[in-house]
Amino acid sequence: MSETTIISTSNLNLWYHEKLALQSVSIKIPKNKVIALIGPSGCGKSTLLRCFNRLNDLIDHVKISGEIIIDNKNIHAAGTDVVTLRKKIGMVFQKPNPFPKSIWENVAYGPKVHGVNDKSELNRIVEQSLRHAAIWDEVKDRLNDSALGLSGGQQQRLCIARTLAVEPEVILMDEPCSALDPIATAKIENLIDMLKQDYTVIIVTHNMQQAARVSDYTGFMYLGKLIECGKTVQIFEHPNEELTENYITGRFG
Amino acid sequence: MGKIFQYKPGARSAFDGIARLSLLREQSIKTVFFFTAFFAVIVVAFILLFLARDGYPVLTQVGILHFLLGPDWAPTAVVPLYGIFPLIVGTLLVTIGAMVFAVPLSIGCAIYIAELASPRMKNVLKPAIELLAGIPSVVYGFFGLIVLTNFIRVVFNLPTGETWLAASVLLGIMALPTIISVSEDAISSVPQEYKEGSLAIGATRWQTISRVLVPAALSGIAAASILGIGRAVGETMAVMMVAGNAAIIPDPIWNILSPLRTLTGTLGIEMGEVSAGSEHYNALFGVAVVLLIITLIINISAVAILRYLKEGRTGGHSRKPLISSSTRGVLVRSARVLGLALLLVFLLVAAPWWLAAPILLAGGMWYFGRSYLSENQVQTIAFWLIMGATLAVLVILVILLQDIVINGLPALSWEFLTRSPLDSGRAGGIYPAIIGTLYLVLGAIAIALPLGVGAAIYLVEYTRESRVTRLIRTGVDLLNGTPSIVFGLFGFAFIVLYLNVGVSMLAGQVTLALMVLPTVIRTTEESLKNIPQSLREGSLALGATKWQTISSVVLPPAVPGIVTGAILSIGRAAGETAPIMFTAVVFSARFLPDSVFQPVMALPYHLFILATNVPGSSANKYGTALVLLLLVVGFYSVAIFVRTHFQNKIRG
Repeated sequence: MSETTIISTSNLNLWYHEKLALQSVSIKIPKNKVIALIGPSGCGKSTLLRCFNRLNDLIDHVKISGEIIIDNKNIHAAGTDVVTLRKKIGMVFQKPNPFPKSIWENVAYGPKVHGVNDKSELNRIVEQSLRHAAIWDEVKDRLNDSALGLSGGQQQRLCIARTLAVEPEVILMDEPCSALDPIATAKIENLIDMLKQDYTVIIVTHNMQQAARVSDYTGFMYLGKLIECGKTVQIFEHPNEELTENYITGRFG
Repeated sequence: MGKIFQYKPGARSAFDGIARLSLLREQSIKTVFFFTAFFAVIVVAFILLFLARDGYPVLTQVGILHFLLGPDWAPTAVVPLYGIFPLIVGTLLVTIGAMVFAVPLSIGCAIYIAELASPRMKNVLKPAIELLAGIPSVVYGFFGLIVLTNFIRVVFNLPTGETWLAASVLLGIMALPTIISVSEDAISSVPQEYKEGSLAIGATRWQTISRVLVPAALSGIAAASILGIGRAVGETMAVMMVAGNAAIIPDPIWNILSPLRTLTGTLGIEMGEVSAGSEHYNALFGVAVVLLIITLIINISAVAILRYLKEGRTGGHSRKPLISSSTRGVLVRSARVLGLALLLVFLLVAAPWWLAAPILLAGGMWYFGRSYLSENQVQTIAFWLIMGATLAVLVILVILLQDIVINGLPALSWEFLTRSPLDSGRAGGIYPAIIGTLYLVLGAIAIALPLGVGAAIYLVEYTRESRVTRLIRTGVDLLNGTPSIVFGLFGFAFIVLYLNVGVSMLAGQVTLALMVLPTVIRTTEESLKNIPQSLREGSLALGATKWQTISSVVLPPAVPGIVTGAILSIGRAAGETAPIMFTAVVFSARFLPDSVFQPVMALPYHLFILATNVPGSSANKYGTALVLLLLVVGFYSVAIFVRTHFQNKIRG
């Protein structure tokens, strides 16, 4: 690949209790592209995603071996600051999870915890992030209303704006559209297309059309293994592995 | 597939004719359950009625303003004065002091348990907190009287340590478990997604806790504190044993080393000495009415907040918040400024230097040093404070337990447990008191269990939310918030005098039953609600009737939960003194009662009299305290064990 690699893993294994949830996963994520991870339920896509910002740390009984290199640094190395890591690697969750605060507070939360206290600066960041997440026009008149009053699709774009506000390099999206209707989904997909100019987006989805529509690269996972990873066109039209072909043509999954 | 059962149209089936009978039965079962549920409302009405009936004369004689705002309480003076203003102020001051002590410790401890503790640590801490909740108030009072007041007397060089400070610290300790467990629950129920959302942005754990989790749980924490206030206001025995009980307003008003007297303490002290029907007697019932109204307001507001939260959690996200976020911001900011100003004035004017200096120093360092600290350093400081609070709670528990165990163990012997008391309890044993307490609690649970379970079944299984259920729920909440001493007065006025049962075991059992009824109803309701709806649907889909479904599908898996509630109620009833003080007990009885119409001895009352009225009974005092503690803690441990065992079974 000619692109620069921003995240790479080698021989990544992850055990949950005694169960091997990820098995020697080695993947390279190119910068400023959209990478889709597909595969049947329980194949480890979300687990892999949560490895990149070490959110699996929150779960008890998780053991990890192998390496995850982000920006030439092993993120499990002693002395790694998970806070800095998570600022760099943003995440959008499956179910929209705005905080029970106002819309403005939701977006300003990130910059605030990272030390921005100047009100006008915060206003600027909030507006910019909301614009970037294509939701500004819908909420600009009610920034002080509770975020919980927004529709599901709006909440999800607000969560994306909240992520953008801390200026990450990578955005992890864990089935961001699974709780949304087709129109809201279309908006998010357009947004993803725009985001790749500035960010690297890794999206987990179980919707293969979505993967085909939005991504540049696709990785297919099955039973905790990364079966193959390559350009989306190649994966969908000429997969190297029979397993991938079976899944994509709908013979199982 | 084998042979399939064939249905022949028109053929008589074995099921014909059963339908009508079962319809009648269903209807009557439902009616019975309705009445058990409505019982709580009837009890509340009777309590109000009888307190008002006996309290009303004082209002006509003294006048409501003179009664509430009169500066002197001197019912036994030549010209008796019935002004309860100093008592109201006393209750208020003791409660405020208790909250200043308890709320910060509790929130720290709750945060630790909810967010920082390892699972193993959690498994140690939560039962420890519940243990603290299970210790009877008379044992707290005993500990306060012997250890705490003595400590205060020596430290402040006073003639006696029975002061506002002692009462507040003791009540604060007693309020800890309530506030901790309800706050912990509130913090733990904040959706995991909020936490992940905040951490994923790169907030530190402390930022996530202080800016997302605690604000989201704030209403729950507020409700917890209000419940703690309710507990403190309604507490009788402990506060009566350490507050000094002088019916004066401290001078100056912030003099925490002054003795004072609360509403509850007045009832506990004077109720046993008045003749029924006298002016003084009526005045005491007037005090009880005031006390009841205060506690009811407090408890209803807490329950309302908690219920509002629960509905918010299950009822989707679209509801508007109570107050808009901008007014809320203004409110929070002005409350903060006001609080800080009050604190500053208090520290500069009223507080002793050893308290003021460190607080001002720490506050100043924080104010000026905050901007030089990195987020990680702030987090470290915050976590140290939180762990300090948790440690303080544990240290209190350990001091209390070790004092009673170490001093009580030497008194324990076979003779102590099996003999009657001699020489006013200085010698001999406590056998009649142990048996008396067991009789009382078993009788109480025998009355409360059927009523409580029936009421819960009605509320969960037979109705949707309606005006009637809301009335019943309110009745249960009111009953739950009623101070135990008020139950005592009600039992005395209604059962002992009005029904002419006399001071007897039966009167005590009924009074205790009324007191634990809300606990039984709530725990049963809780365990019924935990039974998945699909089980009921499965049974109903087979054509089972409602009652068949309840009795054979819903109730069996709910039994462990109901048993837990019953045992908790027994533990609570065994430790209570105030409800039985005027209805059921005598201090000294050589023999066991022959019938339920005779009075009995009881452990908590025995301990109370030994501690306050019998000098020179040191060994037996501690022995009695230890036996009572073991008994109550024993009941609680069994309940906790049943619950966790059952939970583990469900998880598989």
